[in-house]
Amino acid sequence: MRSPIPTVDAHGHLRIGVRFPYKTEPRDMIAVMDSLNIEFVAVTASLACWNDARSGNEQVDQVLRQHGKRFRGYVTVNPHVPGEAIAEVERWRHFHTPPLIKLHPSVQQYAVDGPKYLPVWDYANQTGAVVLVHTWQSHPHCGPLLFPKLARAHPKASILLGHSGVTWRGYEQAMEAAANISNLYLELSGSQRHRSMLERCVHRIGAERLVFGSDMPALEAASTLADVLTAAIGDAEKEAILRHNFLRLLGEA
Amino acid sequence: MSQFTSESIFAEAAGWNLWDVNVRVGPSGIHGELALEMPALLEEMKRYFIRAAIAMHGTAAEYDAAVGNEALSRISASELIPAWTPLPDRESIEQLARRRPRAVRLMPRNPNHNFPVTPWGAGELLEYLQAGKVVTLIAREDIEWEALVKVLESFPGLTLVLLDVGYRADRYLFPLLERFPNLYFDSATYLAHRQLEAFVDRFGPDRVLFGSRLPLFTPAASLAVLSSMRVSDAARLAVAGGNLRRLLAVAEQSAKA
Repeated sequence: MRSPIPTVDAHGHLRIGVRFPYKTEPRDMIAVMDSLNIEFVAVTASLACWNDARSGNEQVDQVLRQHGKRFRGYVTVNPHVPGEAIAEVERWRHFHTPPLIKLHPSVQQYAVDGPKYLPVWDYANQTGAVVLVHTWQSHPHCGPLLFPKLARAHPKASILLGHSGVTWRGYEQAMEAAANISNLYLELSGSQRHRSMLERCVHRIGAERLVFGSDMPALEAASTLADVLTAAIGDAEKEAILRHNFLRLLGEA
Repeated sequence: MSQFTSESIFAEAAGWNLWDVNVRVGPSGIHGELALEMPALLEEMKRYFIRAAIAMHGTAAEYDAAVGNEALSRISASELIPAWTPLPDRESIEQLARRRPRAVRLMPRNPNHNFPVTPWGAGELLEYLQAGKVVTLIAREDIEWEALVKVLESFPGLTLVLLDVGYRADRYLFPLLERFPNLYFDSATYLAHRQLEAFVDRFGPDRVLFGSRLPLFTPAASLAVLSSMRVSDAARLAVAGGNLRRLLAVAEQSAKA
């Protein structure tokens, strides 16, 4: 299987081998991307999400230097160290313009709307950043229904609901959250690929606010890719989801 | 509407003789319109080149094993191989035997089934399934690892297919596959990055069976894994259906004997 639409990927990781041990080095990822027709993937370092944001962001920097055409880089921030989050996004501002920021409230065990994240949200609003946030159905730290208030308060930030809440109910929450808020987007990576959910999302909030992500090299990129490609939606909608929407957010359209 | 369809994206699968080990048919009080009756299910299978499937009945899962089995017996489609859902009591085993089963689905932790899948709680049933070489499906959520080991140790000839094993279980799954030659698993939830490809590289293709979880989930997800893995044609065909047909053929021979 190979995507007939050149695809760009909004959700990837670097070196997640401790949990998903197969073919995870950047060169292995590029081989898979070539076989599936994925032009580039925007990545966060798993080390940065789980343990050490500063060292993880350095990994992203190295990969961007080596393979800049095939990767974009999120700056992952830790809300728990006073001042570190803003220092990190400033340190790595050369990763991308507008900035790409990754938050993982679940593993950082801190609510996405908590005060420690507020400086990051203010920064994202000021810079028009793209913020990818891990979400999960009804999660107290990152449930999709936490996001409407954040998105309204920071209208210049583009917020990607990572995994769209994951489950059937999570997707329903993500759609409810994004229905009337133009800077909330559903990012589609995830292992629970319910039949007909893609069509429901397009019908409810429109293809222009759905963004393809794979979560590689944690999850198999081909699965989400095939879900989009085989959905009962139009070609223009598939091209928007797999390519144009994320390029537009990145300012690369 | 779209030039990109399941038939075009997976065109190569037309030649794979794809058989699916993980399908359900019939109504659902939980999943609503995602559940499909037989005609719609067959249409969906056809869209993805799935020529045959082992199917359990939704009524057996959500209400009553015997009622579900009766509903399954009224479905007549050459594409669907019934996965009967027995309970461990003697009457249920006798009913099962009259159906000359090739496959069963055990749901011991389902509150509507609720039995210990152990030698002391289901020994007679497991003995029957072992003797008949019946393809025995059980979802990972329905059995603890230690209970699974006990079953495999006690019934080494039982053909057991672990369904919905997920993508985080390799450190549990691999030692058991090395130890128990009649243990298999399905690919429906084996969706980590290059996971199936790496599995085939290490173990070969003979222990994993294509599964989709139709109709609740799209077959596109697991079919994409099968389609995109970089392995030999022979390996892909084994996972796609060759392995399942081999197991079912043994069960059929046993039922005729």
